[in-house]
Amino acid sequence: MAQTVEQVEETGVVAKVREFISTIPYNKIGIKDLINYEKTPLNNLLAVLIVAFLAMFVIGVASYLTHGHHAYNITREHPWGLLIAVYIFFVVSSTGLCIVGSLGDVFGFKDYELISKRAIFGSIVTILAGFAVIAFEIGHPVTMLIYNVLTPGLTSAIWWMGTLYGLYLTFMIIEFIFLLKHDMKKAKIFGLTGLLVGLAAHSNLGSVFGFLNARPISNGVYYPTYFILTAFITGIFIAYIMMGFRYKMNWPEPVKVMLTNLAKIQGLLISILIFFVSWKMLTDVYGGMPNRSEVAVHIFHSWTFWAEVILAMLIPLFIILKDMGRNINGMFWASLSGMVGIFFMRYNLVHDTQLKPLQMMKIREYQLSPEWIHYFPSSTEIMISLGGLGVCLLLYYIGSKFFNLDADEQH
Amino acid sequence: MANYGMALDYKNCINCKACEVACKEENGVLLGADKHRIWVGANDVKGEWPLLDIASAAFLPSQCQHCEEAPCQEVCPTNATYYNEHGVVLVDAEKCILCSYCMNACPYDARYVDDRTMTVDKCTFCTDTRLARGETTTACQNTCPTKVRTFGDLDDYDSEISELLRTREHFSLKENLGTKPKLFYLT
Repeated sequence: MAQTVEQVEETGVVAKVREFISTIPYNKIGIKDLINYEKTPLNNLLAVLIVAFLAMFVIGVASYLTHGHHAYNITREHPWGLLIAVYIFFVVSSTGLCIVGSLGDVFGFKDYELISKRAIFGSIVTILAGFAVIAFEIGHPVTMLIYNVLTPGLTSAIWWMGTLYGLYLTFMIIEFIFLLKHDMKKAKIFGLTGLLVGLAAHSNLGSVFGFLNARPISNGVYYPTYFILTAFITGIFIAYIMMGFRYKMNWPEPVKVMLTNLAKIQGLLISILIFFVSWKMLTDVYGGMPNRSEVAVHIFHSWTFWAEVILAMLIPLFIILKDMGRNINGMFWASLSGMVGIFFMRYNLVHDTQLKPLQMMKIREYQLSPEWIHYFPSSTEIMISLGGLGVCLLLYYIGSKFFNLDADEQH
Repeated sequence: MANYGMALDYKNCINCKACEVACKEENGVLLGADKHRIWVGANDVKGEWPLLDIASAAFLPSQCQHCEEAPCQEVCPTNATYYNEHGVVLVDAEKCILCSYCMNACPYDARYVDDRTMTVDKCTFCTDTRLARGETTTACQNTCPTKVRTFGDLDDYDSEISELLRTREHFSLKENLGTKPKLFYLT
């Protein structure tokens, strides 16, 4: 008899879950609808790029599955390569979009509500793309899922980062569902929880580098805080890009107001970032700490550092300051430049951390030790990375067809 | 429980690399994995001719320091890296996910990827080979012709290593990092 009651209760729960899922609003579309997009030259180019990136992803993954980590140019001295940088690029984008999405539905700024749904959906697809890339960098991802739970390393920043990002993704999906159902109260609760968990996860990602006392260039509080700042900046760049594609550069008035405000916030954030980076580099160089100052000098001489500074900081800041954030078309292009700069920012973070050999005198007799560790990504690493971008764009495209990502009429 | 460590009378090292060979043989280190598990560093002679500092050209044999506060253990997300009951830092290959965080965190460059298991490996003080067979020395110590290495229990007052550390001045590598290494270089 008891079993029957349990069964009835279970059936009740299942029925409720089914009912909940069946009431999520979505557009009933097929593969035909996905292929039938507006055939403009730009759309065609994007479609070709997405297909090419996905093809690269398949080839890259096949190469990895055949040759393992030997398909990558990572070495014992430089164990983290491009894929780690690209993973960070995607999860920073996710956290940034989560912050931008939260402005409206969590903090109640009405002007920003029209991007909430789109930004939260963007945060889901970017983190999924990040996971797709990191799955082929971690040697044993299945073992990770098992022993992350069975024998958690609570002193490890990677454990906290991974676990919190898993939770964050769950909260983001739930928030997105409530946004679709227009249940703003529950969306706010899950949005706020997701935001806090996401910020904690992201800060922990910074601490993965900050905890390395073997690497003075990264050690310290800088990265855990700087990651949050750069996440917000990245989120605003992507907000511009998403809205630019959505409205084909013909901005409705509310969108104009929102983007102008975002540009002003971006101006402040980039200024703070320039302040951060300047003092980080100056204290590194002139602080004179062994293994830190010479690395910083080396970074000053690398073109990737200047690519980061010019593309992600100077160009967007110039565009914002020139018209006090009102040049929205200009900001769209500056945001594309900004995202390329942000990619270099992530690449530099990973590469610069490992630049300096650990000086344990593993040298042949009568031969000088190498001054710097060299690294350039292999074709497999590049293909999987571009594949990650393809996955991200494809998921976003499918999502934009399946769901109504614009603000609801009631707003 | 013992507390294993190693003292190195490094000025006696003649760079014959017998320790590297013995380690490879005993622990099945793959061909080509040179200077991965243990190695002999060579300092360049300092000064200019004719004022050369001959003493500066010493060889510096090294390996995992089996730190008491091992950064590699602290950063491991699955506790694959652990201290055994004798304070030796070991890797459980079953749990290793090859995230390579330990390789980046180790200040001594003492970790490498074993291509057979595709997990991170390191010096074990011959725990699962010689010590498991009841021997009391490591392969590198056993083979050294100039008796550079002395392996033993740091907590045993009468052990040879304790005697050496009581009677000889010594230093450890990168002590400023607070890792409390258990490889001691005798001066």
